[in-house]
Amino acid sequence: MTEAIEYLQFVLAPQMLNGLTIGVAVVLVALGLSIIFGLLDVVNMAHGEFYALGAFISMSLYSLGVSFWLALVLVPLIVMPIGFLIERGLIQRVYQQDQRHVLTLLLTVGLSIIMEDAFDLIYGPNTMRPENPLPGSTELLGVIVPNYRLFLLAVGVATIVATWLLIYRTRLGAMIRAAAFDKHMTASLGVPVLRVYAGTFAFGVALAGFAGVLLAPIYSVFPTMGHDFVLLAFTAVIVGGIGSFYGAVLAGLLLAQIQAISSLYISPHWSDPLLFAIMVAVLVVRPQGLFNWMGRS
Amino acid sequence: MTGKLKKVGAVLSVLLPMAAAGQAAAQSNNPITIGVLTPLSGTYAPIGQQVKWGTELAVKEINAAGGILGRPIRLLYEDEEANPSVATRKAEKLFQSDKVDFLTGVVNSGATIAVGQVAERNDRLMATTVSLSDAITGARCSPNVFRVNAPGGMQALGLAAWIKQNNPKARVFAIGPDYEMGRNTVDGFVKQAKELGLSVVGQVFAPLGEKDYTPYFGQIRQARPDVLYTSTAGNDTVRLFTQLQEYGLRERLTIVGASVAVTAQNIGAIGAAAEGFVTVAGYSPDIDTPENKKFVADFRKAYNADPDLYGADSYGLIYLYKAAVEKAGTTETAKLRKTLEGFTWQTPQGPKSVRAGDHQAVMTVYVLEVRNGRFTIKEKIDGQTAIGPDTCERF
Repeated sequence: MTEAIEYLQFVLAPQMLNGLTIGVAVVLVALGLSIIFGLLDVVNMAHGEFYALGAFISMSLYSLGVSFWLALVLVPLIVMPIGFLIERGLIQRVYQQDQRHVLTLLLTVGLSIIMEDAFDLIYGPNTMRPENPLPGSTELLGVIVPNYRLFLLAVGVATIVATWLLIYRTRLGAMIRAAAFDKHMTASLGVPVLRVYAGTFAFGVALAGFAGVLLAPIYSVFPTMGHDFVLLAFTAVIVGGIGSFYGAVLAGLLLAQIQAISSLYISPHWSDPLLFAIMVAVLVVRPQGLFNWMGRS
Repeated sequence: MTGKLKKVGAVLSVLLPMAAAGQAAAQSNNPITIGVLTPLSGTYAPIGQQVKWGTELAVKEINAAGGILGRPIRLLYEDEEANPSVATRKAEKLFQSDKVDFLTGVVNSGATIAVGQVAERNDRLMATTVSLSDAITGARCSPNVFRVNAPGGMQALGLAAWIKQNNPKARVFAIGPDYEMGRNTVDGFVKQAKELGLSVVGQVFAPLGEKDYTPYFGQIRQARPDVLYTSTAGNDTVRLFTQLQEYGLRERLTIVGASVAVTAQNIGAIGAAAEGFVTVAGYSPDIDTPENKKFVADFRKAYNADPDLYGADSYGLIYLYKAAVEKAGTTETAKLRKTLEGFTWQTPQGPKSVRAGDHQAVMTVYVLEVRNGRFTIKEKIDGQTAIGPDTCERF
């Protein structure tokens, strides 16, 4: 009996908590992806690179003497206009054509390659890492949790809630959803649809940039870091249901949890096949996604 | 003076792969081309950078002094991407369409073994200056492949002996990346540790490029180790060490590992978590010889960074190639191979020699410990003691 409690306290509980923090990290990346995917119908293959962009901009800010807390606010504000310009200058040009899906996919793949090489040229291939702004750890019910991961959990949850409020409870959010649902009708009501699209894309990539700053102290910064979460984030978006806000959040948390717990019992190199097997199963059995009962299909 | 500058200028432009095509025709002597197939992007890009720098510095010096047999060296780069299937495709391209005379730079051990087969098919020689897997000069050795760096087995022997000497009752846990190199180095280390009577309490393999190691901390905690052995490299080590520190596990563990784990490239990003890390490697910038001091100074002047073992081994390889080609009088594969077998040459690390039986370089290795962000030499192990038996049966 004591053994079981010890197992729970020292092995299972920390593992689930780790899974939760990784899940929040995945959701932060998946959220922007899901918004751009669901509202603009654009598969943003460069999403991971915007996550990296946020992290690299934060490294530049630190070297100028900016604190972590200020960078957390500044970076999304810097990434947002970049995203806006990319949408207006590039994506919108191919958006109106018949081959929209293929063209936006290829465009963003190209963009991701250019961005990754630009990071390499500007910052070099060596890994960088900002100092952990909240070192030390706290004991929660006998489980040791690093302070920074607790902070990550809190900020992650706050960001998810704030994004939900913005999209579902504000006039701006209503305009975005309306523009996504029926472009012509929304435009005839006087909504500047093209600007709404660009703004939505900018918001989505700014979320990725924000995640970049937030996760850099744990996961470090290097040119190919964009690949890290984006696969898991895509999986979460697909399993949760394409374009579903709740789906991305729930699936992100669930997948990270499955990965964390399964790695206790099976060899870790099976955890990726396991996740993708779940994705395949979901696509076969319920192609609209597990949680896609409230979003539009 | 201007003549000399012009000469240096011509040599430099030959070095630039982009300019190479145009410049090659201008050279009176047809250049010797060496393919450098090394990771220029991804997790191992920082290693590839040292390989590139070390190779480039040696080539610059040799070309400035008149080349090999009067022929300048031309380098052709390809991105290995630490991926065997990419590496074989690009090696095939370098051999077939670029007609390189020699190939170097491959980092990923799986890629080195695979590219070795490509070299055999094309009847060309290649060398690795980084790959650790013992199989490269052991079970899967190739008559066309040479290795000039210290392999995993050499390091495992030194490390296990060091642990035994400092903490004979240590509980040891091993972690490695889940591919040829990681499996081979961890197996090699575990075998050595067991032979010396250390208790090995567990081992785990994480995918190459793992982002979060915390899911493995459950297993590590359960095993209650005193010593952690790791053969992760590049960014993977940064994450492993800093996450261990985040979770308060770092200070409870003595971390030892393969020479790839902590290097000049990632030590800055690891920061304080790297303190006390112990490894066995064939090079340290602190080696106190005039040759090494000159090498370190030249390297710093050219790249504004210290050389590490990859830079040094890659630099030394080009001088091996030069010396052997000059002795053989040709770049022709069969004759050059014969010359290389048993060949002794000078490097900033001291003399090295190629063992004829398995094409592994015999070299002095050092027990190194990170102190104040620098590798300091703790012990020196003679090459003949560290190298272990020749297990290659193919030639």
